[in-house]
Amino acid sequence: MQFVITAGSELPIYRQVMRQITDAIAGGRLRPGDKLTSQRELAEQLVISPLTVKKAYDELEREGLIRTERGRGTFVTASAAPLDPSRRRERLRDPVRRLLSRAHLGGVSLDDVVGLLRELNAELEAERHAKGERPDD
Amino acid sequence: MRIVDFENVHRAYTKGVHVLQGISFSIETGQVVGLLGKNGAGKTTLLRIAMGMIDPQQGSAKIFGLDPREQPLEVKSRVGYVSEEQILPPYLRVDQVIALHKGLFPSWDDDLARGVIDRFSIPGSQKIKTLSKGQARQVALLCAVAHRPELLLLDEPAGGLDPAARRDFLETSIQLLNETGTTILFSSHYMTDVERLADRIVMIHDGRVLIDNELDELRESYSLALLPQNGQVSRNRLLDLEGCLGVRDRPDALHAVFEMEPERVEALLHREIGLGDVRCTRIALEEMFIELAGGQG
Repeated sequence: MQFVITAGSELPIYRQVMRQITDAIAGGRLRPGDKLTSQRELAEQLVISPLTVKKAYDELEREGLIRTERGRGTFVTASAAPLDPSRRRERLRDPVRRLLSRAHLGGVSLDDVVGLLRELNAELEAERHAKGERPDD
Repeated sequence: MRIVDFENVHRAYTKGVHVLQGISFSIETGQVVGLLGKNGAGKTTLLRIAMGMIDPQQGSAKIFGLDPREQPLEVKSRVGYVSEEQILPPYLRVDQVIALHKGLFPSWDDDLARGVIDRFSIPGSQKIKTLSKGQARQVALLCAVAHRPELLLLDEPAGGLDPAARRDFLETSIQLLNETGTTILFSSHYMTDVERLADRIVMIHDGRVLIDNELDELRESYSLALLPQNGQVSRNRLLDLEGCLGVRDRPDALHAVFEMEPERVEALLHREIGLGDVRCTRIALEEMFIELAGGQG
């Protein structure tokens, strides 16, 4: 898969790598069992420090989304995060808070935000469906 | 293993201009440290001290646990050095310069050298003086890395290069990191390059280490607060606050950098000064440099 990295952006680079992999998993572009680009290759491809890639992969592994098998490579393990639900929910607190304050500043009502969330969720589900994956239950 | 160890390094120029006034930090195996600071902050001086080219007037610099002034050969054979104003002999051909370096270093790796030459398509038969600035820097890098040094000291290695040449240089550095895991200390004014290459930042300001932290920690746990200039708060009051690293006085606002997350800074300003609606944000490296280098002395 292709990554786009912007140095000097709001997000540290390792978080950009993490986000793009989690987005790909959520959107079905990466499926369980798929092999990820090796850390060395990805560092060279993106021209970023190998330690930065390692950090991103380590974090994703800690979240249970990928697994590195010695000598074989790194593989996607899950289509949805297997962490305990309350922690997963907590991780969303900050981004949701930012989303809501932006909506408030932009004069967008809560109902409209919820509508938008549903719309985007339907899009993601359709993407996953197109990839032949079972929709979430 | 401790590769570099600066302890209380002092150095002044003859006029009594104090450049380094007690620099202390150390670097462990495999770390890539970006050395930041304004022009004249002493980055070059510090790197030269590490190379044993100049002496600290107080304190000490140890490389691999050795004193580079007392054991220069031992240290230099294990270090690669590239500086911005590095002079290669202008009338020699590229392959002659490479042969010269190969003769100096018993650990010279022909395969690695050939790999770098191929990647850069460096013309071996060309004379140094006919090379572009970027090509000359590539030859210097080749000579600095082909003996597989345990430590690379790079002083503004990409200074004066165009963006494409800089990216080539960065790519090579990354490939080398992948291949050899070399420890690197490099100075640079290109913050986006620093973000790509470094995992730790040391910033020198007013002769001292102002910041020494992991890059990601800097990006996630430091914030910038913008406070309106309405007489409610002064620069000195802010500097007294916990975690405040620097304040820059601008016509429209006071810009204060804090070593803590935005939410905590907001709470702190509320608690200590009674300011309720201060805008705090995380901060990119370039902004952090400008705020701190422009807001201190």
